[in-house]
Amino acid sequence: MNRRVLLLPLVLQVCFAADPLPSAESILDRYVQVTGGKQAYEKRKTEIAHGTVEFPALGIKGTMTRYAAEPDKYYYTVEIEAIGKMETGINGPIAWENSAILGPRLKTGVERAEAIREGSLSATLNWRKLYPKVENQGIETIDGEECFKVAMTPAEGQPVIGYFQKKSGLQVKLTTIASSQLGDIPVEMIASDYKNFGGILEPAKVIQKAGPQEFSMTIDRVEVNPAIPPETFALPAEIRKLVDKTAAK
Amino acid sequence: MLARRLIPLFAAALSALGQTRTQLDLDSFEKVWTTVRDKHWQVKPAGLDWQAIHDEYRPKVENAASHDAARAIMQEMLGRLKESHFAIIPGTVYSAIDDEGEGPGTAGIDARVLDGHAVVTSVDPGSPAEKQGVRPGWQIERTHGIDLEPLIRQARSNPVIHELQLTRAVLARLSGPIGGTLDATFLNSSGSKVNVTLDLTAPRGQTSGFGNLPPQHVWFESKKLGSTGYFRFNMFLDLPRVMAGFQQTVEGCQACDGLIIDLRGNPGGIGGMAMGMAGFLVDKPNQRLGTMYLRDSTLNFVVNPRADVFSGPVAVLVDGCSASTSEIFAGGLKDLGRARVFGTHTAAAALPSAFERLPNGDGFQYAVANYISEGGQPLEGLGVTPDVLVELTPAALLAGHDPVVDAALNWIRRQKKP
Repeated sequence: MNRRVLLLPLVLQVCFAADPLPSAESILDRYVQVTGGKQAYEKRKTEIAHGTVEFPALGIKGTMTRYAAEPDKYYYTVEIEAIGKMETGINGPIAWENSAILGPRLKTGVERAEAIREGSLSATLNWRKLYPKVENQGIETIDGEECFKVAMTPAEGQPVIGYFQKKSGLQVKLTTIASSQLGDIPVEMIASDYKNFGGILEPAKVIQKAGPQEFSMTIDRVEVNPAIPPETFALPAEIRKLVDKTAAK
Repeated sequence: MLARRLIPLFAAALSALGQTRTQLDLDSFEKVWTTVRDKHWQVKPAGLDWQAIHDEYRPKVENAASHDAARAIMQEMLGRLKESHFAIIPGTVYSAIDDEGEGPGTAGIDARVLDGHAVVTSVDPGSPAEKQGVRPGWQIERTHGIDLEPLIRQARSNPVIHELQLTRAVLARLSGPIGGTLDATFLNSSGSKVNVTLDLTAPRGQTSGFGNLPPQHVWFESKKLGSTGYFRFNMFLDLPRVMAGFQQTVEGCQACDGLIIDLRGNPGGIGGMAMGMAGFLVDKPNQRLGTMYLRDSTLNFVVNPRADVFSGPVAVLVDGCSASTSEIFAGGLKDLGRARVFGTHTAAAALPSAFERLPNGDGFQYAVANYISEGGQPLEGLGVTPDVLVELTPAALLAGHDPVVDAALNWIRRQKKP
């Protein structure tokens, strides 16, 4: 009798653990759905996001503007008084960045692949194209909420681990090892304060820890489907020179 | 009778003093041990079982007969790391080298300790010191009514105190509140005493803020020495202005026979600026100045070649007050074979090492990262050894010469194509 009683919790435990996890595919599809749905994403052809960035440990703040256009145009600029202007962009197969501190450069290899993947306006909708392999690795609790832990492996680069709330379906965390010219940097991003920007829910606040640096980005407003002049995405003169220099070699 | 009553009182007081001393040393020990545990760039500092180290050394500190003995035990513990920039500095010395100064005001004098004496090495143009006739090469005997020699003697007798700290301490004694005055006694070129009262004004350069850092006065100087470009700046800050100034110098120097970058007295600043500046000098892609190892990541100090790169000879000037980013820049360019380094050994303080006051009054220095220059040598604790060792001398300064600049110019002129 005693033995039966003692075993009962184990049986219950087995029954609980045997509950099937939803597939990674269904979790990612649900994310598309809860943040606006396929149609809302398909309608989005261009956008301009405006916001602020902050490096709290350094006491540095600045403004950010992010331009994106289907299918492969992206331009992101951050202006910080003490540092100057930092720009990064994608124009077709060319991924680049330029800053007063490090100068202009072209991204290559895995870093370029990551930049093109992340800069795509339709990245959320087209996750199947960007991540050939996805896997639900189980459940983890983040800030008291159960989350599915989904590993998304791209064709090039390290897997991205996304954490999606079981209850809401929203992504609240992401971890990966980002490829950068400074080295492979462990990155953790915490997403919060989801807001409806023109029919799509986006985290208005993202806190990112990359190696020893932590910074936050707050999106104040998003212009949906604005007309963006093509020159916004044109390669800056210094980048064009590097492209020409590389081509000449 | 009274005397007998006093004896127990004294004994109790001494006993209490002893307990206080022991407790302060123990608190200091815990502060030192915990700092290394939490901030060393390796989770297992130097591969040691740091908890076992704690258990071994704490009883020793507890039973130490004196404050000096406790300090020696803590120093021995830090010695187990076999790394530089982990040191305990006696409280008296720590106070003596206090470089806080009495204010940001300056008379426009830069100084170094040469042959055991504080010597004026440069005087800012138009500064109160220049107006009063103070000249490079003069020896500084007294400031604010206090002789500098005892400070210099005390600091030089302690191997933990490096030239950088000593120089900062000397410069702090030349400072004061803006609008105040500095009474100073110099020995001039003929060895005569000169007593002057100098006005203290705002430091040279523009005030620049960088986040939580207190505002700094940043200046740069760009000129031509004959057909050679020359760029000097006092710190790697005010990024937009200094980088633009450097870019203009390089762009305006494409026909120069060489470029001198003077980092003497430059204590560093934003590390990334070393990479950005090197991009104007290094044409080969995928080069780096070195690698910084932090607890949770490794950062390559890469160089992005600019579209227009200066390809002529580059001389970098350094001294014992060239620290941190200056060392990363000079050491990296030297290791890449892109620059020849002139002057004296750098500060060996490439890392963000910190000084903190311990509960017992001693100072504690520790580093939070390791930096290996591209040549494979750690800069922290070793610094950059110049290719050409050239020291400033009072005689040369009095004669109006800068032997370090002269050596660099001579080398550049020899690189001229026939």
